Amino acid sequence: MSYKIAVIGDMDTTIGFALAGVTYVHVHRDIETTISKFKEFISKDVALIIITYAVAEEIGDELDRALRGKKLLPVVLKIPDKTGYRPPVDEFVRMMRRAIGAEIVIREEAG
Amino acid sequence: MAQALAISPTRMELMKLRRRASLAKRGHELLREKMDALIIEFFEVLRRVREVRAKAFDQLSSAYKSLSMCMARMGTIETQQAANESKRELQIEASTRLVMGVLTPTLEVRKVERSALERGYSLYTTSPLLDEVARNFEVSLRLLIELAELEESARVIAGELERTKRRANALEYIIIPRLLDSIKFIVMRLDEMERENFSRMKRIKAMMERRG
Repeated sequence: MSYKIAVIGDMDTTIGFALAGVTYVHVHRDIETTISKFKEFISKDVALIIITYAVAEEIGDELDRALRGKKLLPVVLKIPDKTGYRPPVDEFVRMMRRAIGAEIVIREEAG
Repeated sequence: MAQALAISPTRMELMKLRRRASLAKRGHELLREKMDALIIEFFEVLRRVREVRAKAFDQLSSAYKSLSMCMARMGTIETQQAANESKRELQIEASTRLVMGVLTPTLEVRKVERSALERGYSLYTTSPLLDEVARNFEVSLRLLIELAELEESARVIAGELERTKRRANALEYIIIPRLLDSIKFIVMRLDEMERENFSRMKRIKAMMERRG
């Protein structure tokens, strides 16, 4: 089955992805509308929601709450915006700590 | 000591408990093996996430740079206008895949990169810089779709890993000790009954000898 892509972010991010052919875009202005838009995307034929780290952080827990009970789709992907902002603690480091019980540092492989 | 279950100390019960204990141990071993396999899978996915992520985010940052350039040259409003005019009908195919008995989503896209004519904005009124921006974002998008699939797989596997760990721990630290305690309780109780019976017999024998 074919699905569409949605992007939530600042003006520049949404313009860029709209140029790339993304169907739904939402420019984040305030938390309430973004959350309701996010929920709308979840219930639509969207398989991938791209959201910038900055916006995701601003929304905070509401994001996880909205995602609770979703099925396999849509997939939510967080990306940096044009400032390149990324949270200091990577989600996967936390995930690893919880799943395995130890923090494991993977060294960059040479080459 | 885990509390002994409310059980009657009979041989029948003992046999049942022993069977349950050995089953629990086997289940625990199986869960451990599943955990090991999941951990290997998890690291494999994680390694690929790091690879693809580095590539995708690099591409994305150069896409942002070209967008800023384009906005400076063409004007913000005009760029936005072009974005509104562009065709936005990108379709992705989504299905699921089984990894180690865990359902993970897969995302596939046929063609992200388009020619300038397919994009839908007017070529006459826009700068060639805009074509570059669109191309850059299309390439980023293709990488990001790949990344999203990998990240979600990692997330799903991590969740399954946690669940498996919890079940293995429950067996190891609660269920198995409790079963073993119950077995011990029954064995002790049966031995005690035996001894009681033995002394009772002795006593009856002595009484009978005195009488007879």
